[in-house]
Amino acid sequence: MAVVDKRTALYGTHLDLGAKMTKFSGFSMPLSYDKGTIEEHLAVRRASGVFDVSHLGTVEISGDDAFDRLQAQLTNDLRKIGPGRTQYTHLLDETGSVVDDIIVWWLEEQLFHVMPNAANTDNVTGAIGGQDITGSRVVIAIQGPAARAALAAVAGTSGPLHNHVAAFDFAGAAGYVAGTGYTGGDGIEVEIGVEAGIELFRALIKHGVAPCGLGARDTLRLEAGLPLHGHELGGGITPLNANLGWVVAFGKEGFPGKEALLRQKEHGVDPILAGFATGSRQPLRDGDRLFGEDGTEAGWISSGGFSPMRREGIGLGFVHPDSRGRQDLTVVRGDRKVPVQPVPYPFVDLKSR
Amino acid sequence: MNFPEHLNYTSDHEWLDAGADAVTVGVTDYAQDALGDVVYVGLPQIGKEVAAGDSIAEIESTKSVSDVYAPLTGTITEINDALNERPELINEDPYGEGWICKIAGTVDLSTVLDQQGYRALIQQR
Repeated sequence: MAVVDKRTALYGTHLDLGAKMTKFSGFSMPLSYDKGTIEEHLAVRRASGVFDVSHLGTVEISGDDAFDRLQAQLTNDLRKIGPGRTQYTHLLDETGSVVDDIIVWWLEEQLFHVMPNAANTDNVTGAIGGQDITGSRVVIAIQGPAARAALAAVAGTSGPLHNHVAAFDFAGAAGYVAGTGYTGGDGIEVEIGVEAGIELFRALIKHGVAPCGLGARDTLRLEAGLPLHGHELGGGITPLNANLGWVVAFGKEGFPGKEALLRQKEHGVDPILAGFATGSRQPLRDGDRLFGEDGTEAGWISSGGFSPMRREGIGLGFVHPDSRGRQDLTVVRGDRKVPVQPVPYPFVDLKSR
Repeated sequence: MNFPEHLNYTSDHEWLDAGADAVTVGVTDYAQDALGDVVYVGLPQIGKEVAAGDSIAEIESTKSVSDVYAPLTGTITEINDALNERPELINEDPYGEGWICKIAGTVDLSTVLDQQGYRALIQQR
């Protein structure tokens, strides 16, 4: 028997809404709905959009050793937060490479929900243990300046502050709502049982929240300068290469990869992540190689695309530290060279929260 | 999906409209839908000589880069400059304002499909 695409509980809803489907990490997921990626992107920046992110994993870790198990494996320091808070963190291997980037929801003193990337759930349960509860819930991200008002209208709560998490009830089901997301702007994410989750997703759309697919999820996170595992994080790339040193608590007891990162700090971080733009509508593309005027290769674009807000091509890429700020870089398009300027990221001003 | 009867089509999802002086070339409704939102079109130089099968333009959408191939041998006589500022015309009006270029030359009719032939090709996919 052949492996069939995995589906989230909202698969039928996506088809009902006329979504264009795509395969992502083994899941059949909406790429975009009828209005298309750019309209969805702009809806999130200006009002609100809703995403099915149930393909992310949820691992439940509980018990009196839950804190210690997480603290021993993950790079960030849970002592900086407490129950009712969320934290972005990394799981590294002994070389310092990022096995996965993860959001931890600290729900109760001895209860955590850990959300790895879709393909990496087994890596996380392998390292930390816990129970994979991915199939028993849906996760819905409601994002944008009007997201909280929409949730309040539909579910009676505007959700907790950024990086906080609280209990959430809807349609007779108990779940959680967190002030988290992957768009760089304000927003919330809801984790709840399958039936209630489908009802909530439909109610939000009926209220006027734009359904958004993975296309917009990617353009939004890139515009916000947020890393994607397999692009800015992964094998051979440490948090320091990706400018994410703040995720690593060097002050706490050893965790996998700590020694490697200390050595890297000593020897210098190379390559290093930087932002780029084309100054024209021409997008940068994943895997574009960056060349200097003298023809030498300076690095590569790890994620490229088009910024609907800046209306120009943008990208994140890795370069030798000495090449940051260089004005002579180009990428090749057919028989043409496209000039690429260094620009800071996030690529848009997202101070709204 | 819309595939006007008066046009010819290629298996690369382009359309051709043979006029008095030149053949207008664009991409089909099927192609624009598959591409998603078009954000950039790289157009050829006017006067460029092209052979059938050469890459003459590139269309970049939010998710992909695609080449447009010359469906005939000839000379580029006009390009649709409006696409520089409004590449989304390819999505909005693929057979009208979203045309890509005009090529002076003769179409080898054995290499193109009529509306029915193209529709059949799409349905196989």
